[in-house]
Amino acid sequence: MNGWMGRIVMVDLGGHSQKEIPVDGETRRRFLGGRGLGTKLYSDLCPVPIDPFAAANALLFMTGPLTGTVMTSGRYEVVSRSPLTGTICDSSSGGSFGAALKGAGLDGLVVTGRAERPVYLYVHDGIVEVRDASAIWGLDTQKTQKAVQELTSAKASVACIGPAGENRVLFAAIMNDKDRAAGRGGMGAIMGAKNLKAIAALGGQATAIADADGYKAMAARLDRAVDKNPVTGKSLQVLGTSVLVNVINAHGMFPTRNFRGGVFNDAEGTSGEKIAESLLQRQSACYKCPIGCGRTTRTKSRNGEGPEYETVWAFGAHLGISDLTAITEANYACNELGLDTITMGSTIGCAMELHESGALKETMLWGDAARLAGWVEDTAYGRGFGAELALGSKRLAAKYGRPELAMQVKGMEIPAYDPRGAQGMALSYATSSRGGCHMRGYMIMPEILGHPVFLDRFVTAGKPEIVALIQDISAVVDSAVLCRFLQFAMGISTLSEMLRTVTGLDFGDEELLAIGRRIYTLERLYNNRAGFTRSDDTLPPRFFNEEFQTGSSRHRVVRLDEMLDGYYAVRGWDTQGSPTKATLAALGL
Amino acid sequence: MAGAIEVKFYSLLRRRLGKASLALEADGLTVLELLLLAEKRAGQSFLDELLDRERGLLTGTMILVNGENVRLKQGLETRVGAGDTVDLFSPAGGG
Repeated sequence: MNGWMGRIVMVDLGGHSQKEIPVDGETRRRFLGGRGLGTKLYSDLCPVPIDPFAAANALLFMTGPLTGTVMTSGRYEVVSRSPLTGTICDSSSGGSFGAALKGAGLDGLVVTGRAERPVYLYVHDGIVEVRDASAIWGLDTQKTQKAVQELTSAKASVACIGPAGENRVLFAAIMNDKDRAAGRGGMGAIMGAKNLKAIAALGGQATAIADADGYKAMAARLDRAVDKNPVTGKSLQVLGTSVLVNVINAHGMFPTRNFRGGVFNDAEGTSGEKIAESLLQRQSACYKCPIGCGRTTRTKSRNGEGPEYETVWAFGAHLGISDLTAITEANYACNELGLDTITMGSTIGCAMELHESGALKETMLWGDAARLAGWVEDTAYGRGFGAELALGSKRLAAKYGRPELAMQVKGMEIPAYDPRGAQGMALSYATSSRGGCHMRGYMIMPEILGHPVFLDRFVTAGKPEIVALIQDISAVVDSAVLCRFLQFAMGISTLSEMLRTVTGLDFGDEELLAIGRRIYTLERLYNNRAGFTRSDDTLPPRFFNEEFQTGSSRHRVVRLDEMLDGYYAVRGWDTQGSPTKATLAALGL
Repeated sequence: MAGAIEVKFYSLLRRRLGKASLALEADGLTVLELLLLAEKRAGQSFLDELLDRERGLLTGTMILVNGENVRLKQGLETRVGAGDTVDLFSPAGGG
């Protein structure tokens, strides 16, 4: 078989059994792999929404047909129901774990059940070994990865949880290849609930390529395009993702102090430009990636990975903190303990506003850089007020009677782009299948960065069509599986050519878009079953009612009501946001 | 500075020029004229980071006049005057 390995293994940790999940060619063609096939398999295995921490819940680690082939193809996708949001969730991570898992002979690994004692999985040569992890339970993610490599192979790629996942923090991440994170949605907490500490994958098998000559020519063209593109060939390499700090701040939509402001006066001090001239030691790159957007950094006392843009913001402007060292060390702590930096920072910011409003007695002060790393650690271990931070902002704000102070959609915290500054991004947040996430449909690309075309960020007309299109394309890229940054240098036709040369199947652009639409709709069906309706496709009231008084997004509010009906119409969903029978029939769902 | 246009350099431009801003005593220029003047004053070329060979905006170039992208105004023909702030970003991405 070309492109896919043709093998997905399901391991029941409670029943001590394994079996292969058969996937036919038609299903592969309709869902590809990664996020798409993962969502399809999850929906089949757990059609009725259940407690994410229940033993019966399934947790899928998925690769795609392009995994282990072209540049950036070391990624993998983790799919399950999020304990943070209750939605379907896929969480994506870079590094090389995806390539290793596929190279070990699997397109995907499905984990169900709960082990009686801590275990880790060792995947190699097409088989999955379940091994005792009692000795490594409790270790941080860095020590865990080293220990598991010592127990398996120095060449193994390891994905694992730290104390946060063990303690079921609702936004615990899965960390792999040192500091790459499947960060969002709390997939690490599900591993913790299953007593699954780590997965080691030892690759070796190459993905079979259908058209070797075509593949080589396509890969060479991609190399040139990525090299020539100023974003992938230069900016991301030199300045990393934090180059956006000044960009978004200049647009007056850099969320400051829990989204009460859109301009952070100390942005310069936390910018990518500043990091490059202060903490940066070198770039770091994922599997076969010529871009290398990662930052290996050093503070006076420590070294590690990051911070990247979202983290700079979450621990910086969002909290009124401009101490780059404190931000960076909080990032290191999240990496080691296994926490999503966005939800961590956003929840601390929520607590700060709760305290300022008088609703929360616990002293949480804007700009308190000295306590930042301590809050992170307390969260991972559930110590003191950390046990409440571990719930995420939605539950925290509700507990203290001020639900409107949580900057979240469907329970997931909104990242570093204030939706009042970009109407399309606002619609994308509101309709994202996993909640307040920028990655479902990154409207910042056209509305701010001008890729592939520039759109007026304050206009709502035409945005429903474009949001749906970008959501669909993103679902395809997440299912192929590749890094989104390639989208700066390639269009959907390039992706279609990649898939053709690798799999031998001629996916035209239209078929790929239909696949994206199918995946997005399947995610919606699950969310509908989990109780999400039109009333959940919204944003915190702040974005509709409060205007900034300064900056270039001043006097703007989100005009979701001008877009939501149009979006449902484009999607073929009814007025309550449920896919119609005709839509399901057209998509073969 | 009174009577000046403040030009701010970000991203790769700042690294190339080694400075974050320039105050240009000027008024009533188009953005293109301002860029040419800024290049002259900076003593170093940088327009290739922002413009193509035909002096059109590169995909992804962001030039903001008082926070507003010139693509929403008259592009490189947008007029700027004393007291205005012009932010220059070469194409950037992240997320």
